[in-house]
Amino acid sequence: MVELNEVFETHTMIFDENLDVRTITMGISLLDCCDSDLDVLCDNIYKKIVTAAKDLVKVGDEIGLDFGIPIINKRISVTPISIVGASACRTSGDFSRIAETLEKAASFVGVNFIGGYSALVQKGMTAADQMLIRSIPAALSKTERVCSSVSLASTKTGIDMDAVKLMGTVIKETAEATKYKDSIGCAKLVVFCNPSDDNPFMAGAFHGVTETDSVINVGVSGPGVVKRAISKVKGENFEVLCETIKKTAFKVTRVGQLVAKEASERLNVPFGIVDLSLAPTPAVGDSIADIIQEMGVEYVGAPGTTAALAILNDQVKKGGVMASSYVGGLSGAFIPVSEDRSMAYAAGIGALTLEKLEAMTCVCSVGLDMIPIPGDTSAETISGIIADEMAIGMINQKTTAVRVIPVIGKKAGETAEFGGLLGSSPIMPVSRYGCKDFIDRGGRIPAPIHSFKN
Amino acid sequence: MNRVIVTLVGRDHTGIIATVCNYFAENEINILDITQTTVQEYINMMMIVDLEKCTKQFSEIVSGLDAVGKKVGCVIKAQHEEIFDMMHRI
Repeated sequence: MVELNEVFETHTMIFDENLDVRTITMGISLLDCCDSDLDVLCDNIYKKIVTAAKDLVKVGDEIGLDFGIPIINKRISVTPISIVGASACRTSGDFSRIAETLEKAASFVGVNFIGGYSALVQKGMTAADQMLIRSIPAALSKTERVCSSVSLASTKTGIDMDAVKLMGTVIKETAEATKYKDSIGCAKLVVFCNPSDDNPFMAGAFHGVTETDSVINVGVSGPGVVKRAISKVKGENFEVLCETIKKTAFKVTRVGQLVAKEASERLNVPFGIVDLSLAPTPAVGDSIADIIQEMGVEYVGAPGTTAALAILNDQVKKGGVMASSYVGGLSGAFIPVSEDRSMAYAAGIGALTLEKLEAMTCVCSVGLDMIPIPGDTSAETISGIIADEMAIGMINQKTTAVRVIPVIGKKAGETAEFGGLLGSSPIMPVSRYGCKDFIDRGGRIPAPIHSFKN
Repeated sequence: MNRVIVTLVGRDHTGIIATVCNYFAENEINILDITQTTVQEYINMMMIVDLEKCTKQFSEIVSGLDAVGKKVGCVIKAQHEEIFDMMHRI
């Protein structure tokens, strides 16, 4: 029998500490839509999405009401479009048409983002991959809901430095194409090392080719719940701290498991995974930085931050993994600067720097995320930032990512405003020393020695 | 059995539970259990109810209870029991 105190504990988590289910993401395979005629392909894609996801938003809302838990986003991820469009697209413009089809379908079913305008080029780019990548600036500036990701590296294959170089240019072009709104196009574009096939979170969600026809993946959240729990064990040792995070993560993830199972049953779509990630929002009390500060670090970015984040990431996994029958995606702690009010504040006062964020990405679940940088940062420097991050992921056998936003027309210290869940942040300074000759070498960085496990 | 947990929080006064119970009776909702504590002048109450015979949609019951809550000056919430079982039981 449920106890009164347990019911009110759940209520406090939901109504005071911002516990929510961040996203129900339906993964949809578009492999059976392939055709050599672009019109037929676009038609197939549209029909497949609007049929498969017709009840997604309605069912998501119903589940939220039944269990009294906010389900913030309902989203879709699709098979990487560079594969789906390979036989039909002859130009980058052809790929842009697919982006517009995705936008139309997403709009029809009422989801706020659709991910999968993607290419997997960790070992090399096909002609289709190159066309898709070159179409990203136009695709993201013409659409609102389409999210794009490009996988540039993996522990198994090494780093495709030609693609790293190209993405530096593409990020700059995307920024330029959306400069009317602080280069917001780049907030919908992420590059990966070791990406996950079942990640429900944007902008990096895509439906991997090893997945079934359609699947339900759920991303939970709840930084506020963890922070409040930690505040009750102030001054206690690390054992107590870790146990507290673990127990809280268990409870948070159980909600995700419940929602995922319900959504799977009601939509008659297989349950994929629960992603354990703690994802912040710009709302007060929904911050990863606050958790780190509650642990005893004055401001996020101060010495001790990387250790605190490592604790958080690991305990979230340990607590969450027992709470769900299938765990996947990125599962850990996100550190997006503009989406986390206290992270952005720390950047503004100089406590948090790009270099410290890079160190933090060695122990968090993803990478350099939602970081506005000066608009005049060169494409080669952006490629250099990407290469560093890819190297961290490749060597440490973890997912890393880069989502930086060169805000055209703005300098370090000015504020970038993206609005909504994307938040705002002071623009962070980037090293003024270059790496052009390094990036211009081209080719591939070989896979590390510890990748040869066969 | 369609078990739902209903909670009520607010300043205590006479007739709160009577009003809520009347609403349940009108809608064929059976009360299975009631737990209540009063701290100073505030009431915390939890009811486990069965909606098996209720013909209304759950969304109508949620908004109906919201209206009852406003009438008696309390916050009333209804959620299916599974969320509490999942969170607090292994």
